[in-house]
Amino acid sequence: MGARWRYLLAELGIGLRRNLLMTVATIVTFTVSLTLLGVGIMVQRQVDRVTDLFYGEVEVSIFLVDGITEGQRVSLESELREHPVVEEVMYESKEDAYEHFQEIFADNESLLDSVTPEILPASFRVKLHDPEQFAVIESQFAGYPGVDVVSDQREILDRFFALLGALRNGSLWIAAIQIVGAAALIFNTVRVTAFARREQTGIMKLVGATNWYIRLPFLLEGIVAGVVSALLAVGFLTLGAFTILQRIQEQVEFLPVVGLGDVLAVFPILVGVAVVIAAVSAFLSLRRFLAV
Amino acid sequence: MIRLQNVTKTYKGSIVALQDITLDIAKGEFVFLVGSSGSGKSTFIKLLLKDEDPDRGDIHVAGKDLNRMKSWRIPQLRRELGCVFQDFKLLESKTVAENVAFALEVIGKPRHVIARTVPDVLQLVGLAHKHDAYPHELSGGEQQRVSIARAFVNRPRILLCDEPTGNLDPTTSVGIMKLLDRINRTGTTVIMATHDQHIVDSMRRRVVELADGAMVRDQTRGVYGYGG
Repeated sequence: MGARWRYLLAELGIGLRRNLLMTVATIVTFTVSLTLLGVGIMVQRQVDRVTDLFYGEVEVSIFLVDGITEGQRVSLESELREHPVVEEVMYESKEDAYEHFQEIFADNESLLDSVTPEILPASFRVKLHDPEQFAVIESQFAGYPGVDVVSDQREILDRFFALLGALRNGSLWIAAIQIVGAAALIFNTVRVTAFARREQTGIMKLVGATNWYIRLPFLLEGIVAGVVSALLAVGFLTLGAFTILQRIQEQVEFLPVVGLGDVLAVFPILVGVAVVIAAVSAFLSLRRFLAV
Repeated sequence: MIRLQNVTKTYKGSIVALQDITLDIAKGEFVFLVGSSGSGKSTFIKLLLKDEDPDRGDIHVAGKDLNRMKSWRIPQLRRELGCVFQDFKLLESKTVAENVAFALEVIGKPRHVIARTVPDVLQLVGLAHKHDAYPHELSGGEQQRVSIARAFVNRPRILLCDEPTGNLDPTTSVGIMKLLDRINRTGTTVIMATHDQHIVDSMRRRVVELADGAMVRDQTRGVYGYGG
């Protein structure tokens, strides 16, 4: 086993050095694509988090004034329940709102300290059969006694989500194109290396080396480039989390923003993608150019 | 040790390389494969290595049915066959000893086995003193000895030689033939494709002649041409 590992490491070193420029190009392309893939996934996580905040299922929030009487509240609720366009009604008291708030901003202590149940409004969260019917609800309940504001959650979120969605799709598309580029670079690097080692490979086949033994140094070269790129990409994402994302969080304290925890969750995905792409393109190149 | 039954091989569907060859080679035999260029000698050797597959017919090598052999088993077959070529196929960046050791390293032999067997085989081919020389520092005959050492270091049951003296002068060739003869006498089956008339005539071993892919002669103690 000793001879085998020494051979493998020696070949790996020779390969990486011989193709230094190609390896650098591969790592740069791979890093860009994985970073963008990471950005895309982080944006999606941001969308998920905001959806949670705004009760994904709820289309209309009817915020109540602090001075609403028990009678006003009960009659408002029964009218809502009997309304033909309404599917579901849920009452959220000040205490419920506070509890919910605590869950979402669990890691933002300064914000939690500044908020008490009293300053949060009670509300009815309403789900409609047809979300487009918001106008009906608004016109009917906006002036209702005890009602402060009727707001269309979808309208607020739609704009926000459209922006994030565009950002996510843009990142993922560029990431996909860059990944094709990285795969092509690895394919070509392996071809060049295979050509440089064709005599050696021919002898290996002749004396009975197994195909996997012949392939392994080539595959490892690609995989090492992939893993290095994934690490660099995570480095960039971490940097982003500490600078850009932290600044955004300071600007919009009321919104939970993705952070370092999300970068760590994205890391295994990036490594997985890098390893699979690298191994598959090296494998295909070997089959084509070395017939192993 | 080697058995071919009605073996036919064509390239691109039309060029006939071997036609209906039936042949038995026993363990320990020394067989010359003669014929002009393009008569099918190289194809014959490629079939034995399972580098090519026949269109028709059965081939058995070292007790294995090559037609039924899965491709991942081919390395196992090749570990029982040693190969020597006209162009030596040595790695220029490795020393004599490293070239020989390479054949053992890549099939996963442990280091202590390699350290023991390589000097032995270099002794056998008479190159113990060139241990650390590089191929370009050696004469053609010496390079061919290294390539024979590499082919034989794993003690294969069969040694396949494709024009091993093709690039060598007559005197050097005699030395190589003596070495092959010695390897043959250890019980190794040797098959040698050649068109070196002088060598075939002087060795008086079994001669199989191919012409345009057909076997036209199989003589137990033959010479290169007819009527010897």
